[in-house]
Amino acid sequence: MYGVGGGGGGFNASSTASGRRRNQEEDEEDDEEETGDGRVLEAWERAYADDRSWEALQEDESGLLRPIDTKNLVHSQYRRRLLLRSAAAAVRIQKGLIRYLYIVIDLSRAASEMDYRPSRMAVVAKCAEAFIREFFDQNPLSHVGLVTIKDGISHRLTDIGGSPESQIKALMGKLECSGDSSLQNALELIHGYLNQIPSYGHKEVLILYSALNTCDPGDVMETVEKCKKSKIRCSVIGLAAEIFICKHLCEETGGSYTVALDESHFKELLLEHAPPPPAIAEYAAANLIKMGFPQRGAEDLISICSCHKKIKSGAEGYICPRCKVNVCELPTECRTCGLTLVSSPHLARSYHHLFPVAPFDEVTFKLGQKGGQNCYGCQQSLINSDSQSNLHVRCPKCNQHFCFDCDIYIHESLHNCPGCESQRSFSS
Amino acid sequence: MWFDLDGLPVCFPYDAIYPEQHEYMGELKRALDARGHALLEMPTGTGKTAALISLITSYALANPSRPLRLFYCTRTVHEMEKTLAELRLLFSHLPPADACRLLALGLSSRKNLCVHPQVSASGAVDTGCRRLTASWVCEKAAYDRESATPLCDYFETFDAAARKGDLALYIQPGVYTLADLRSLGRERRICPYFLARHMVKHANVVVYSYQYLLDPRVASIVSSEMQKDCVVVFDEVHNIDNVCIEALSVSIRKQTIQGAKGNLRHISQQIDRFKATDASRLNAEYRRLVDGLAQRGNLPISDAWLANLALPDDILKEAVPGNIRKAEHFLTVLWRLVRNLDERVDTENVVNERPVSFATSIYSLAGIETTTLRFLYDRLQSLLLTLEITDTDEFMHIQKICDFATLIGTYKRGFSIIIEPYDDRMPDIRDPVIQLSCHDASLAIQPVFNRFQTVVITSGTLSPIDLYPRLLNFNPVISRSFTMSLTRDCICPMVLTRGSDQLPVSTKFDMRSDPGVVRNYGRLLLEMASAVPDGIVCFFVSYSYMDGIVSSWNDMGILQEIMQHKLVFIETPDVVETTLALDNYRKACDCGRGAVFFSVARGKVVEGIDFNRHYGRLVIMFGVPFQYTLSKILRARLEYLRETSQIQEGDFLTFDALRQAAQCVGRVIRSKADYGMMIFADKSRHDKRSKLPGWIRSHLHDAHLNLSTDMALHTAREFLRRMAQPYDKAGSSGQTEENLQDKARDAMEM
Repeated sequence: MYGVGGGGGGFNASSTASGRRRNQEEDEEDDEEETGDGRVLEAWERAYADDRSWEALQEDESGLLRPIDTKNLVHSQYRRRLLLRSAAAAVRIQKGLIRYLYIVIDLSRAASEMDYRPSRMAVVAKCAEAFIREFFDQNPLSHVGLVTIKDGISHRLTDIGGSPESQIKALMGKLECSGDSSLQNALELIHGYLNQIPSYGHKEVLILYSALNTCDPGDVMETVEKCKKSKIRCSVIGLAAEIFICKHLCEETGGSYTVALDESHFKELLLEHAPPPPAIAEYAAANLIKMGFPQRGAEDLISICSCHKKIKSGAEGYICPRCKVNVCELPTECRTCGLTLVSSPHLARSYHHLFPVAPFDEVTFKLGQKGGQNCYGCQQSLINSDSQSNLHVRCPKCNQHFCFDCDIYIHESLHNCPGCESQRSFSS
Repeated sequence: MWFDLDGLPVCFPYDAIYPEQHEYMGELKRALDARGHALLEMPTGTGKTAALISLITSYALANPSRPLRLFYCTRTVHEMEKTLAELRLLFSHLPPADACRLLALGLSSRKNLCVHPQVSASGAVDTGCRRLTASWVCEKAAYDRESATPLCDYFETFDAAARKGDLALYIQPGVYTLADLRSLGRERRICPYFLARHMVKHANVVVYSYQYLLDPRVASIVSSEMQKDCVVVFDEVHNIDNVCIEALSVSIRKQTIQGAKGNLRHISQQIDRFKATDASRLNAEYRRLVDGLAQRGNLPISDAWLANLALPDDILKEAVPGNIRKAEHFLTVLWRLVRNLDERVDTENVVNERPVSFATSIYSLAGIETTTLRFLYDRLQSLLLTLEITDTDEFMHIQKICDFATLIGTYKRGFSIIIEPYDDRMPDIRDPVIQLSCHDASLAIQPVFNRFQTVVITSGTLSPIDLYPRLLNFNPVISRSFTMSLTRDCICPMVLTRGSDQLPVSTKFDMRSDPGVVRNYGRLLLEMASAVPDGIVCFFVSYSYMDGIVSSWNDMGILQEIMQHKLVFIETPDVVETTLALDNYRKACDCGRGAVFFSVARGKVVEGIDFNRHYGRLVIMFGVPFQYTLSKILRARLEYLRETSQIQEGDFLTFDALRQAAQCVGRVIRSKADYGMMIFADKSRHDKRSKLPGWIRSHLHDAHLNLSTDMALHTAREFLRRMAQPYDKAGSSGQTEENLQDKARDAMEM
C-alpha cells in the first residue's frame, strides 16, 4: 500500500523491485495491481493527490511527453554514489566506526509547510525512523540521540544511546511544530553533551533543517567556531533551499550540506549519512578501547536490570563481565562500571566498511557473446526484450555478470560478491 | 595559457576560456585592426575584464609598432582594484622579458592616495594638500627658511626627484594598485598621488575613474598626456550618456547665489590686501593676460587645477577680453552677473530658454558680452591662483556660477536653461532654481572619440545596442552583444503580472495607490520571504513610492509578518545611513537570520553595490522604473532627441527604464557559479521583453512570462532546490588550450 507520503517514492521502489521493465504501460499496470491487492484499480479510483503521476513525465527535445526512465535514473544515481564511495575507499581511509551522533530535527513553523506530503514534519519523522534503523544496522557500535528545535528553543528528546526502538518511540510522540528555529541554541546544547563523550568516539551532528532562517540569541559564528574546535562534525540536510550559514557550518566542521529535491531524494540523502565517515586526522592514531563481551544470563537467574529498574529473568538480558550487572540490550555502556558492552557480531558487521566489495564495471551486452547470458546472482536473463537498456555490470575480480538489481543488493546489503565467494570455495 | 587567435598569439591568465570570451577577443581584435571604436555588451561574471586586458596586451606585444598604451576607465574604486588584480595575474603569465618592461597603475584622487599622516586623517584632503604643496607655499618656504612654513615631506621628495628627472627610480615596472602606491609612498617617503599622476605619462596601463576623461573640469589633469594611439576602455558604462550630460549640467539655487556673493566679498578683500602688500603680483598677472598668453603652460604645472572645458580650439587661442583682464574689472563683471542671476531666479512661472537668448538677455540687462562669459571660468581660476587661495571648496559657489556662464557662452545648441520657482512634486515649497541642462551626450564624449583611435565601450547592459551610437554620435566599427554560456540555468527571470487574487499589479500612475495592488505586492514579498533563504533585494520606482508603500504595508500588518521571516532594511537618500543599513543587511544574511533590502531603482545602491551570492538570492523589481516624465528637464531632453537624433520619446523612455531595470536585477549575479532569481512585478512588462539584454532574455521562458504570485512561488521553490544541488565546476563551459587548438585545426582543414 502507498503510505501517506507515498508519491514518487513508492513508485520508484516498486519499479526497482519488479525487475526488468518491458515497457512503461505494463509497468504501470503492475504498479496498479500491487496497489489494489491483485484487483486492477480503474483510473478514477487511484488517488491522484498521492500518486502524482505527472511528476514521472518529462518533456523531450521535440516537446513530447515521455515517462522518466526511473530505473536507469535510480541506477545511475546509485552508481555515481558507489563510485564516489569506492574512490574514497581506494586510498584506505580510516573510518570512524564508533560514532556519537545527535540528530537535530527542526520543528519550527516552517516544518508544517505542505510542499512535502502530508507535511515536512511527517516526512522528516518517517525518514528519520528509517534512518535510525539503518544507522544501527550499519554502525552497531555507535550511539544516537535526538534533539528538537521548537519556538526558538532546543530540547533534548532522548539521551544518547544504542537502542533504536526507544529513540523512535520518543520521536513519534513529540510531533508538533511552532515558532522560530535557532541553529545556535541547538548547537550549544549538543556541544555541551558531546564534550563529555570519550575521546575515541566520533562526534557528529546531523541537522534536518526545514526552516530558511535562524533566530539566534548571540553570534552563531562563535558557536560554529566552538564546534570546529571540539571536532564536532556537523552535517545539514535542508528541505527547501541552500542557506549560507548552514553551508558555512558544514564547510567549517567538515560535514556535508545537501538540499533535498523531494521526498525520495531526502531519504536518499539521509541514508548517505549511515555509512561511517572518514576519520578525522587527529583520531587517526590507533587507540585501544576496553570492551566487554557479556554473556546471556542463565534461565533461572532473576535480577533487576540496570537500565529499566525492572525485575527480569536472566535470559532476557546480558551480564556485564566486570561488575556482573544485568543489562537488557547490546551494545551499550554498563551503567555501573562504564564498560562498553558489545557482542562479537556487532564488531564483525562494522568490518565491511573497511573492506567493501569493489564496484562492478558497467558493460554493454554484445550479441553473440559467450557466457553471461543470465545474471549470476538471480539467474534472470540479461537480454532485454525491448533492447532499450541491455546494460549490465561485471565483477572485475571473478568476471561474472550481474543485473542492476543484484548489483545494488550485493553492494548495499550482502557486502560479498557471490561469484568471488564461490570461486574461492572451488579453489580451496 | 597561450592560444592563437586569427594569427595573434594571445596570453590568457587562466587555464580555460569561455567561448564568449574567445568571441569577445575576436571582435576586439577586429576593432583594433581597423583602428576604430567598439561597442560590446557582455554580461557580468563572464570575465570581460580578463578578456579585454589580455587581448590588448597580447596585441601590443605582437605589434611592436603599436606599443601598449591602455587607459582603462572604471566606475568605482573597487572595480579599479579588481581590474588591477587581473592585470597582475596576467603580467605574471607573460614572458618575463616582456613583463619586466610594463608598468600599470591605478590613479585616483588625493583622498584615496594621500599618505601624509595629518592630511589624510583630516576630512578635507584636497584643501589640506594644497595648503602644503601649492607652488607659492613652496616658494615661500624656499625663500624664507626661518619662518617654518609647513610643507609636505612626501611632496618635497617628489618635487626634488622631478627636478632631477629621476622619478623612474622610485617606481619599478609592475602593477601598482592604490594600496601598493600608498605603501610605496610610505616606504620611499614620496607622495603617491603626484608620483602616480606623473607616471601616467610613462605607464603602459592606467586604470582610473571615467570622470577623468569625461568631466571637463578634471579631464585636463591626465588627458593632455595621452597620445593618439592609446586604447581607451570604458567599463560598466551602461549609463554613459547620463554621465556625459551631468558633466555639462549646472544648477544654481538661491544658496549658490548667496554663497557666490560671499565669495566675491572675500575675493575683493583679498585683492585689497594684495594691493596694499604685494601689488606686483596682480600686475604681473595683468601683464600676462595682456600679452595674450592665456595662462596655460605659463603657470607651474604642479598646480594643475586649471581646467579647460571641452572648448573648441579656436576659443582656446583667443585672448582674454580686455574688460576682465584687471582683477577689479573682472570682479565688477562677476558682481553684475551674480546680481542678474539673482533677479532671474526670483520668477513666478517656469521659464525655458535657449542659451543664445539667455546670453542675449544677460547682455542687455547686465552688459556682459557672450565672449566675456566664455572666459569667466578660466579667468576665475587664474585669479584664485594669483590670490594664493588654497581652499577651493570654499569658493565652490562662485566657481559654479562661472562654470555656468562659460557653458552658456560656449555652446549654442544642445542645452536649455530652465528656471523653476518650485519643484512640481512639492508645489507648496518655494525652491527656485536655474538649471542649465545639457541634452546632447555627445558633447562631452566627442573629444574622446576624436582624440583616440580606439575607444571600447563595454558593459553588462547595453541593450538595445543600436541606440548608443545615436545617443553618443559616433560610428563603432564593431557593435555586438554576447550571451553567457552556462552549465546550468543559474538565473531565473520571471514576469509577474497578477497577484494571488488574479488582479493585475502595476505601478502605473492610476493603479499605484489602489490598496488591492499594494496588498498584492505585499503578499508577493511575504510569500517570497518565506520561501527564499538569506537575502532578498527589492527595487521600487522612486523614494516617494517606496515611502508610501512601506507605510501602507505597515498599516496592513504585512511588514510585521515579513519581519517574522526576515529583517527589513531600507535605503535612504543619506549615504551614511544607507551604508549602515547595508552593513547590517550583510550581517543578517551571514548569520542566517535573513534580510530584505528595500532600495530605489535610481538610487545609490544600484550603482556599484553587488548583491552577489547569498546577499541576493532574489531581486524583486516593483513596477517599471520610468523617469519622472513631468520633469521639465526630461521633457526638454526628449524634445531635443526627437529633433536631432530622431529618437521617439516612448522609445527613449522605455529604453531608459529597462536599462535601469536590467541594471537592478543584474546586481544579484556576478559570476557563473552564482545563482539568483529575478521577478519583474508589473503587468505592462511582458510586451517589453525584447528590449531586455540578451542574457536575461535567453533565460526568460515563455512559461514564466505571465505568472501570478502562487505560480511564482512554486517556480521559486523548485528553482532554489535545483540550484542547491551540488554542481560540477570542473565540467563548466570553459575551453582549454587543447580544444582551442583542435578547433583551429578543424577550421583549417575545412
